[in-house]
Amino acid sequence: MGVLADIRATFAIAWTDVRLLLRDRAAAFFTFVFPIIFAMFFGFMFGGGGGERGKIEIAVVQLDQGPAATAFIEDLKKTGEISVKMVPTAEEAEAMVRKGEVIASIVLPSTFQKDFDNLLSTGKGPKLEGFVDPSRKAEAGLLEGRLNELAFRTMGKSFSDPAKMKQNLAKVKESIAKASDIDNSRKILLGAALQNMDSILDDNQKQAAAGKSDALSDPMANFRPVQVDLKELTRKRVGPTNSFEVSLPQGIVWGLMGCVTAFVSTLAHDRQRGTLVRLLSAPVSRWQVVGGKALAGFISCMLVQWVLIGLFAAVFNVKLTNPPMLLIATLASAFAFVGVMMFLSVIGRSGEGSAGFGRSVILVMAMIGGGTIPIFFMPKFMQTVSSASPFKWAVLAIEGALWRGFTPAEMMYPLLVLCGIGVVGFVLGVMMFRRAMKT
Amino acid sequence: MLRLEHLRKTYGSLVAVDDVSLEVRKGEVFGLLGPNGAGKSTTIGMCVGLVSPDSGSVEIGGVGAPTTDAVRRHLGVAPQALAIYDDLTGAENLSLFGRLYGLGGRDLSDRVHRALDLVGLMPRASDRAGKYSGGMKRRLNLAAALVHDPPLLLLDEPTAGVDPQSRNNILDTVRDLARAGRTIIYTTHYMEEAQRLCDRVGIIDKGRLLCVGVVDDLVRAHGGKSVVRVERAGKHERVETDDPLREIATVLAHVGPDGPATGVHIERPDLESVFLSLTGRSLRD
Ligand SMILES: Nc1ncnc2c1ncn2[C@@H]1O[C@H](COP(=O)(O)OP(=O)(O)OP(=O)(O)O)[C@@H](O)[C@H]1O
Ligand SMILES: [Mg+2]
Repeated sequence: MGVLADIRATFAIAWTDVRLLLRDRAAAFFTFVFPIIFAMFFGFMFGGGGGERGKIEIAVVQLDQGPAATAFIEDLKKTGEISVKMVPTAEEAEAMVRKGEVIASIVLPSTFQKDFDNLLSTGKGPKLEGFVDPSRKAEAGLLEGRLNELAFRTMGKSFSDPAKMKQNLAKVKESIAKASDIDNSRKILLGAALQNMDSILDDNQKQAAAGKSDALSDPMANFRPVQVDLKELTRKRVGPTNSFEVSLPQGIVWGLMGCVTAFVSTLAHDRQRGTLVRLLSAPVSRWQVVGGKALAGFISCMLVQWVLIGLFAAVFNVKLTNPPMLLIATLASAFAFVGVMMFLSVIGRSGEGSAGFGRSVILVMAMIGGGTIPIFFMPKFMQTVSSASPFKWAVLAIEGALWRGFTPAEMMYPLLVLCGIGVVGFVLGVMMFRRAMKT
Repeated sequence: MLRLEHLRKTYGSLVAVDDVSLEVRKGEVFGLLGPNGAGKSTTIGMCVGLVSPDSGSVEIGGVGAPTTDAVRRHLGVAPQALAIYDDLTGAENLSLFGRLYGLGGRDLSDRVHRALDLVGLMPRASDRAGKYSGGMKRRLNLAAALVHDPPLLLLDEPTAGVDPQSRNNILDTVRDLARAGRTIIYTTHYMEEAQRLCDRVGIIDKGRLLCVGVVDDLVRAHGGKSVVRVERAGKHERVETDDPLREIATVLAHVGPDGPATGVHIERPDLESVFLSLTGRSLRD
């Protein structure tokens, strides 16, 4: 008979198992309904759509210990809407942005003081470099404005010491006079400008004495005392913006668990009831039987994942920023769990025994793999332990595509782990299946 | 149609089937009769290629051993353990098995209907098999074996645990199939069934095929004499004879000291007696 008949037979086996899952009320409940309830519950518990917006958290690296930099940071800390975390190196600060712990990082360069002092002569203030989470652009804009405002204030302090300022101006005049690359006409112009400045400072000095100190801000309205250069991280999105984006992968964990459990039971049942033997006595190869079962598991795993994703996208505004990547992630996790399924189905000698064992193993895996608590909430050592659970990798891949904004290269790691789990489980499962079926 | 040669299967030290040779002809109903653990199911398992024999060979209809899909397509199996899915309807169960045997499309649905009709399950076709009675499940199990209309059917205790109504249906179905030219191997430990249904019978015990033949021949050869029981004035006499009718005539003509016979009863030898004489045990224990 032809390939067509073979495919038809394999699909008939797969379709049978999918129907058995959907028709078994308990299995269907634990595969589809329970995960939805669970993920909804946690979604609401974590704060619902949007999540609360607290302070803008930024990581600051101070490479210059001079008074200007220190004053700048002090001012930064005093503002109500910015929360500052001091970090020793620029790399660490950047990493914090990547992990979504802060929305931006800012480095005060080692030349901060010098640049600040030479602000007037060079026309360029200190350059603040850093990274910003592209998903938080609104806050980043706000931050940039804030930084300039603060720099003004810091500068204002030095301006409010006109003596120091005049000293600076003298330095500037001197350097202009000496400069060989500035032609004379310019020198005269600049000289006049500086003279004006001098008189402003004199006025200011008088006004300050009279108690009005903010006259400065007017003539310098368009002046940018610091150059803020915030690069967007290469990723599209970092960090969940909606608590349902956190609970959705959790729901998927439970859905996959329900799926695996149901299949382990179905196969156990098949072995016990003699239906498996009956299938094997039909003119189909063992590969077709195993393949049909695997296909059924695969279809069900995909189904449960996308039912959850679809529902959460439609109802809870979970944004699918990268659908192709998400598809790949779900394919890989379905593949991995088919392997787990195959392995757990045949691990025991008796059908029921393996089902019971399989259920407990999978429950523990789900719990440590992020089913109960999102992995990034776990303490460090638990995060390490959870690496042993296939669920963790499925969650990581799905989060990577959902809100971690993984690049394809970053995606490779969890995907490869998932594929590895799938292959190993499948090979072991098939080997043991063949042995169990030997007569 | 089916030829078994020196089949042997052991499980550890247990010999399940011991040197069984047998030929089943095309179009006949062959009964394999034996007590629990005799090796009937193991033999069937080897016939369908599920159990690999330690030695010996199975050949189906001149096409070869049942290890290839092409040969297996000629077979229909109704296993002793019910092999149907409770969560599928009767029709869905049959569709599944039809597809496994390469059927599809209109052909498949026609054959599913025919098979359901044959076992009298048409009215319950779209109910889940789990809701069927035990007898109906048995009938569905049988229908699953014949949905692809194979020339050779292997039915392993198709009436196990079944009520009289379903049993009659199953026996009728088997007879219809035989009339339609199918070859059937039928295992049972009910000698009445074997006697009623089978053209030839093989008696198997402890893995050994003790005898094979037409029921009457077996009974004549191994069943021993008929027994005539005579009741006379509350007392019972037992007379063994080759010719029970003549014996009865003699008994009725004779009036002894206790007066005339008040009751006469003939016990003809049957497969049970054949089994008893061959093994020294009763089929029923
Ligand atoms: N897979 C197996 N492993 C070990 N022993 C087995 C296996 N299958 C059958 N046997 C043994 O082989 C012998 C024959 O079993 P079989 O099932 O063929 O008997 P049977 O004639 O079908 O009996 P029944 O009427 O009870 O169905 C029995 O003693 C049984 O315990
Ligand atoms: Mg048996």
